[in-house]
Amino acid sequence: MEITFKVYRKDPEKDGKPGRSNYTLELAEDATVLDALLKIRDESDSTLSFRGCCGRGYCGECMMRVNGSARLACTAKVPDYTKKGPEISLDPLRNVPVIKDLVFDWDAFMWNKIKEVKPWLEPESSPVNGENLASEAEMQDLRKVMSCFYCGMCDEGCTVLPVDFKFLGPAALTKAYRLAFDPRNKDSREQVKIVEKPKGIWDCVHCYEADEHCPRGIEPTKRIVALRDRAFNSGITHEAVARHHASFASSVKESGWLDEGRLAVESEGLTNVKGLMKLLPTAAKALARGKAPIPYMHSKRPDADKIKKIFEKAEQEEK
Amino acid sequence: MQEFDVLVIGGGASGLRAAISAKRAGASVGLISKVHPLRTNSAIAQGGLNAPLAKDDSPDSFAADTFLAGDELCDRDVVRAFTQEASKEVIWLERMGVPFNRDKEGRLDLRGFGSNSRNRTCYADDRTGYIVLQVLHEQFQREQIPSFEEWFVTSLVIEGGICVGAIALGLRNGKLDSFSARSIILASGGFTRFYLPSTASLGTTGDGQSLAYEAGARLMDMEMIQFHPLVFPKKQGLLITEAALNAGALIVNHKGESITDLKGMPRHKICLSIHHAMQNGGGGVSLDLRPIGKEKLRGYFPQTQELLRTVAGLDITKDLVPIRPLAHRPIGGIETNAAGETSVPGLFAVGECACNGLNGAGRLAGNTLTEAVVFGRRAGETAAKHATAGPKKSFPAAKVAEEEKQLARLFSGESSKDSLAKIHSELGHLMNEKVGLIRSGTGLQEALGQIQSLKDRYSRLRVKNPSRIYNYELTSYLELGSMLTLAEVVVLAAGARTESRGAHQRADFAERDDTNWKSHTLVSLVGGSGQLQKKPVAAG
Amino acid sequence: MKYAFYPGCVSRGGCPELYPSAVKVAEKLGIELDELKSVGCTGAGVLPQNIADPINARTFAKAEQLGLPIMTICSTCTGVMAQANYRLKEDPIYREKVNKEFLADEGLEYKGTTEVKHLLWVLFEDYGIERLQSLIQRPLKGLKVSPFYGCYLRRPPEAITPTKELNRRKSYLDELISILGAEMADISGKGKCCGFPILSANEENSLAMVAKHTGESKEKGADFMVTPCPLCHLNLDGNQSRAEAQTGKEIDLPILHLPQFVGLALGFDTNEMNLKRHIVSTTDVESKVSMMS
Repeated sequence: MEITFKVYRKDPEKDGKPGRSNYTLELAEDATVLDALLKIRDESDSTLSFRGCCGRGYCGECMMRVNGSARLACTAKVPDYTKKGPEISLDPLRNVPVIKDLVFDWDAFMWNKIKEVKPWLEPESSPVNGENLASEAEMQDLRKVMSCFYCGMCDEGCTVLPVDFKFLGPAALTKAYRLAFDPRNKDSREQVKIVEKPKGIWDCVHCYEADEHCPRGIEPTKRIVALRDRAFNSGITHEAVARHHASFASSVKESGWLDEGRLAVESEGLTNVKGLMKLLPTAAKALARGKAPIPYMHSKRPDADKIKKIFEKAEQEEK
Repeated sequence: MQEFDVLVIGGGASGLRAAISAKRAGASVGLISKVHPLRTNSAIAQGGLNAPLAKDDSPDSFAADTFLAGDELCDRDVVRAFTQEASKEVIWLERMGVPFNRDKEGRLDLRGFGSNSRNRTCYADDRTGYIVLQVLHEQFQREQIPSFEEWFVTSLVIEGGICVGAIALGLRNGKLDSFSARSIILASGGFTRFYLPSTASLGTTGDGQSLAYEAGARLMDMEMIQFHPLVFPKKQGLLITEAALNAGALIVNHKGESITDLKGMPRHKICLSIHHAMQNGGGGVSLDLRPIGKEKLRGYFPQTQELLRTVAGLDITKDLVPIRPLAHRPIGGIETNAAGETSVPGLFAVGECACNGLNGAGRLAGNTLTEAVVFGRRAGETAAKHATAGPKKSFPAAKVAEEEKQLARLFSGESSKDSLAKIHSELGHLMNEKVGLIRSGTGLQEALGQIQSLKDRYSRLRVKNPSRIYNYELTSYLELGSMLTLAEVVVLAAGARTESRGAHQRADFAERDDTNWKSHTLVSLVGGSGQLQKKPVAAG
Repeated sequence: MKYAFYPGCVSRGGCPELYPSAVKVAEKLGIELDELKSVGCTGAGVLPQNIADPINARTFAKAEQLGLPIMTICSTCTGVMAQANYRLKEDPIYREKVNKEFLADEGLEYKGTTEVKHLLWVLFEDYGIERLQSLIQRPLKGLKVSPFYGCYLRRPPEAITPTKELNRRKSYLDELISILGAEMADISGKGKCCGFPILSANEENSLAMVAKHTGESKEKGADFMVTPCPLCHLNLDGNQSRAEAQTGKEIDLPILHLPQFVGLALGFDTNEMNLKRHIVSTTDVESKVSMMS
């Protein structure tokens, strides 16, 4: 079959401006996008830069956008992409710094962020001979998380990264989970502290895009939520978030439902004059339109006492 | 210029282990890798790590199985060291965080694998290699070792017969830089990419062996190449772990008949059985994983299930998987002793690129990962000790400039109309045909001639892409050079060994010849061509 | 059609225009609502699972007692409940634990039979689009509308779109826009996050998201944006002026709740739908609508 590839180009040694090159070539029916790229480099244009490593779907290196969707080039079968016509566009991942053509900056996108979460175990230095005893259930969960092959799909789908590239992102935070939840890690508390700093777990909007994108069902969002729950339950929390969570929990515990007025005020902090002043214009408008729930003037739901009991019981169990 | 006590070249399991142990032994360490460590071939190792941890097991039993698989070509002293240290290394891995599968008591679960006479293989699903690699990379980062990722080593630097460092090209900045070190450890992996198809990755091109060979080191047992019996035959073949056979999978011919019970056989025997079945039966052979059961397949073989689905479009709970034995990984490589030292002072080698006599003529299934960490640790410690003993040799200042000139020559002049891919393809085809599972004297002679003509054609090619930044045409060019060099060495060694033993089978010498051939082959580069020697197996 | 109605906290707190408009629209459509009054907040993804799951299990048990499926009018309520329900349904041991420890002493038990659906899903899956079409009195021709779903109405897949058929839930709002006679001003962020969850932790990013989505909608020529989630509404509407201040770009895009949007097509006027409550002025929309009937 004859297919035309429209490939993104960028040359840091020339003007560094993005462009596109078209290549038309004859391919076997079972060709993959990577096969096509290798053929282009060998027969048409040896200046085309792209990465390829294992060639069979397990190493994660050849990630790129094929017709706009991120996937591995070595498992992307060409016939799957030519149903609407014999043209395929190839681009680097969205929202990543591109170095040259399809070669993007994996360091900035992934490896450096992983370094930031202190990605290693501190083993217990006990004098025990032999292996640590461990339950298969715990090890199985770790193996699931460690089946992550750093393909970057979760980061590619993330809602926050396009708005804030400094956010650690689901891949790095999942690595943090692996270490925080390994029972053999002496430093698991430290691990949580590291990722609760700015650009970490509290910057995640838990939109579950990462879970939808992960090709291995690792569920990065759920891992981040687990880290947040752990941080919260061990008293390690970003100040503003702590205030927000504490206020939310308090109003539901006391009345069965949320007092948003109180939440807005307490999230800023009752003594935080600057923060509270910031809320005034919106609060004024809301008040004028009858939309502002007056803080603390909040009715109790029927059965509020039953909700309170649930809180008390759950809090006791946590201890 | 970068300066370290110990320079490690190659970021896979053995390289990372060596770097960690060298650092912990007090040396300053730097690591160069042409791909990021987590992209290396260690990631595809599936089956597990052997260690004599069970109560009814022992280093002696482990050693006996190793000798058997090696078809009596293993060096005893190396096997002894290995079987005695394996347990300690595997426990170390667990304590550093590898989440191995556990038994009901919470201890490391041990499973049957290949021709091990007892259950002694620790595993992490069927992703053992990848998970071990990750934990090694975690500990590597803990040691804060400078890591030069996507740097391509273009030469080793030898001064007065001693290796004093290397020169490498940074793919990202396009610059050549020199790396001075007292100990240089090659951990650069295998070379089976010169078989097409094979299970090799794009970059499994034997650059380390080629560099060592040119630096004067000897290459040992290069004719011993392990074929994997269960490979879905794509260009980059997808292998299925033999643990599947141990779990009940069957190999069937095209009529659906199960080939004689292959469970527990050494790898080369399984390969030959399949090979004969294909020749005689006149049809293909398939792997039937269905007897393992859906539950167990999902629980124990998730990687296998996923890759066969995404790459081959097969559902292993329903479909048969067409398989063929394909070239997998070398057993031979750079000659070293049990401490990882090569015959070139200052140069060490470990892992897939090295050959220390552990595996003989056939690797026991499950030994590779254990080998990587046991000898990785040893090589690192030895290299660190060496780096602090004795005076430092100076790194010749002019080397980088010389290398620049050499590199410039690859770009200058008219390139022939030939292509790298065409030469590679022809090489890959001829190796499979003439240097495959069964070799013959005439076939090997022909192969030698063909390789020579490919080398001539190669010498008339030039690199057309003038850039040095992420120039994969340049790296492919250099990699093809390594492959041509090593292909010739393999053919020479295969031609020399006039017997059949383990992974090396000769149609014209079908029997094992212990009288003449209880020896290793050695090839060294003398006056521009490969010179052969024999080294008797260590009785120790 | 009868449902155990769960209006959530915000529809009577920060977005009090939502509750009455939803009730009016349900009545017009003939959907009977039996409001669950003595149940607690879902937790909105803020309360940790060990507290939120029991509270939600209790809500499910109460609905189960009525023998009715739950209908919500908030993406966040829907999503949080769907996830909790998924956990309680998939793992009978977990469900038993929650029942025993938290529900038993009230004499309650969740047996795992409750369904949770947003009004948007009810329209497509239970009510029927043809039936809805037959009740349209004011086709919203000439209006350009951007959809904004709210993350929790679209993900995670196992709780929200567990089958191929239910994958269609990701396009219901798109489809509804044309069913009601309007034209869609499609935006790339329609399924993304509005930024509300990180308002405390990272206000800058939160407002940047508001600016991004509403800005894109405005560029595509939308008259307003419609959302099934009042939390999204709080950020997209309530904080729009702060987002404008941060980026220095004017937006001025009205945001409507889903029931208000449906209600206008059913013939209600803008006062009945409480459009005057919004922070970003809806006068343009009001005048366009009044010119239609």
